[in-house]
Amino acid sequence: MCMDVLLVDDEAGIRKVVGITLADMGHKVHLAANGDEALEVFRRERPPVVLTDIRMPGMDGLELLRRIKEESPDTEVILVTGHGDMDVAVQGLKLDACDFISKPAGPEVLEIALKRAADKIAMRSRMRHYTENLEELVRQQSEKLVGLERQSAAKEAVEGLTQAMGGLAGEVAGEFAMFNALPCLVSIQDRDQRVISVNRLYRERLGDRVGQPGFAIYAGAAGEGLDSPVARTLRTGQGQKSREGLFGPEESLTAVTVHTAPIHSANGQVDLVLEILVEASEVQRLQDELRTTRQRYQQLFDEAPCFITVQDRHLRIQAANRRFRQEFGPATGGLCYQAYCGNDRPCFGCPTLKTFEDGQPHQSELTVRGKDGQTVNVVVWTAPIRNALGEIEGVMEMATDITELARMQDHLASLGMLIASLSHGIKGLLTALDGGVYKVNAGFRTGNQEMVQSGWEKVTGLIGRIKGMVLDILFYAKKRELQLRSMDARDLASQVAEAVVPKAEQLGVVLNIEIDANLGVFSVDEVVLSAALVNILENAVDACLEDKSKPEHTVSFRARPDASGVFFEIEDNGIGMQPDTLARLFSVFFSTKGSRGTGLGLFIAKKAVDQHGGRIGAVSEPGQGSTFRIWVPREQ
Amino acid sequence: MAKKIMVVDDDPDIVEYLVSIFKEKGYETCSAEGGEGAMEMLERERPDLLTLDLEMPEEWGPRFYRKFSQKPEFKDLPVIVISGLAGIHLAIRKAVATVSKPFEPAQVLEIVEKTIGKP
Repeated sequence: MCMDVLLVDDEAGIRKVVGITLADMGHKVHLAANGDEALEVFRRERPPVVLTDIRMPGMDGLELLRRIKEESPDTEVILVTGHGDMDVAVQGLKLDACDFISKPAGPEVLEIALKRAADKIAMRSRMRHYTENLEELVRQQSEKLVGLERQSAAKEAVEGLTQAMGGLAGEVAGEFAMFNALPCLVSIQDRDQRVISVNRLYRERLGDRVGQPGFAIYAGAAGEGLDSPVARTLRTGQGQKSREGLFGPEESLTAVTVHTAPIHSANGQVDLVLEILVEASEVQRLQDELRTTRQRYQQLFDEAPCFITVQDRHLRIQAANRRFRQEFGPATGGLCYQAYCGNDRPCFGCPTLKTFEDGQPHQSELTVRGKDGQTVNVVVWTAPIRNALGEIEGVMEMATDITELARMQDHLASLGMLIASLSHGIKGLLTALDGGVYKVNAGFRTGNQEMVQSGWEKVTGLIGRIKGMVLDILFYAKKRELQLRSMDARDLASQVAEAVVPKAEQLGVVLNIEIDANLGVFSVDEVVLSAALVNILENAVDACLEDKSKPEHTVSFRARPDASGVFFEIEDNGIGMQPDTLARLFSVFFSTKGSRGTGLGLFIAKKAVDQHGGRIGAVSEPGQGSTFRIWVPREQ
Repeated sequence: MAKKIMVVDDDPDIVEYLVSIFKEKGYETCSAEGGEGAMEMLERERPDLLTLDLEMPEEWGPRFYRKFSQKPEFKDLPVIVISGLAGIHLAIRKAVATVSKPFEPAQVLEIVEKTIGKP
């Protein structure tokens, strides 16, 4: 134990003796003869222990004690007195004196008193140390706590941000889930550019860099830390946007767009920096992909070989593809059954309504009406469209045009009918032919010239019919390519008229021919078209024969030009047709002539006109007559 | 008095043919092309045999058969079906024979003779 000790006494002898004793004990001794001097020395040397006489001229020991304790409470003061004076001793202790010893102070007493002072000092120092330690501990812990708090707040911010971005991206991208993984690497860095928190993608791509310098991921100057985006943000206090190179796997470099935003603390200084990295190429790629996918869907939607609509519960059309719009007009917002059928109420057994009811796909076959009034046979499939909650929000309806298929089915059915019908017809004709031959033979046998004549006429007529029928069958059974030739329409019309003149004359029907002199030229298959026209003209003559109500019958054959084609009209005042006959007029095997007709004539006539890209139609009044109108374009 | 055959067919050529065959053989004939007139004629002429074409428009043949065969006086009237199609005779079970078109006149005459005898 070795201390600085200030010894204060007005008696020089005592100062000397005690001073030597203290020095012998190993202490460094400072001497003062009175209070003022003592304070002076104390202020200069700052000794931890002061040993002072109480009775001194001027400032006494108690006053000195009080003043030292004022200036330095930790200094230990030992009071020394000449005789036992308890009052003074009590006063001294009240003033926080360390000890109280009597004169003459021997070495043992001094040693004990000084040791006590030293212990007190040591204890106080330890106490102080403990206290200070505790404070440091509390400070350290609080700092740690604050740090954690800040980190978790930052993490929350990052997650919130990522979520917000995801949500935003979700909104932008609609149902495309890939955008939920928006390619943003987000981190929050502190003032030392150390990473505090990162988002999932950052961790996946660059590793968990929490605690490491945030700029280390960059190539070039930004990777140095002085010119990184975060450093610039810290320096300027402003958000930054720049393009940087990012070290990728295998030394590759990726271009990224870096956005930073300062996060200010309460005192207004930039405390944290938010850094968002967006891979430029990735964004471009995703945008491209999205665009192509959308285009592909749109294309699929539009180009699918069927009519697609999306409908709500009231069968209001929400969306319609291009083919639907082409065939049924721009019906978006309209009602399905109005657009498809022109009906006031949903179709019977509507598959879309069924799907709304049970959530299952349904199918049905319907006949609908196109924009131009043409009937279209469709097969309808439906499928529910559900929202995120699984509720049926709409129904997609796909209608496939099977008109052509239905036509083919008809054709196949017709072929079956053909066999039945024709075999009957041909057998009937052959039987009748037998009858004619029988009559001729009987005439020869009996020498009855008239009978031979009449039988032969029958045979000739029947052979004509058989020939016509065989030609019809051949035409029907085999698809004949048109052999188009440019010709004067007037020539064709005249030929047709001439072909019918003998029959009309023979049967006493007036044939009225009105052919415009300037019919012009058109490009047609002469054989096919004239056969069709002759067929209709012959029908007109037949219709006159059937009618017994009028004394005179006339068939008019008119031909006149129009801008883009030639118009033919065949009008008779024959028996006319009932509405149901008119409706089935051009269908195959429909005949009003019983076993005399094949039911092919008008069917073939229509086919011929159709092949030429023309139009054929008929109007009729029962008992009054019929009119057939045919229009053939000049060019196909 | 010669036996009478009634010919019903919607094709007048065939009617004429059958009629001339039967006439030449010595039978009496009458004929109808269908419609209301056929029933009237049947009741008026009271033929001994009927040839019937089944394939007339609107299934007139079978209906005509059903109509007259329900009447007691025609219940046993022999009918020869003259048809362009095999199998159609099943529509008339009591037909004495079915002859396909085109037919041999001799075959028809043979059936007629077997059924009602010589004229």
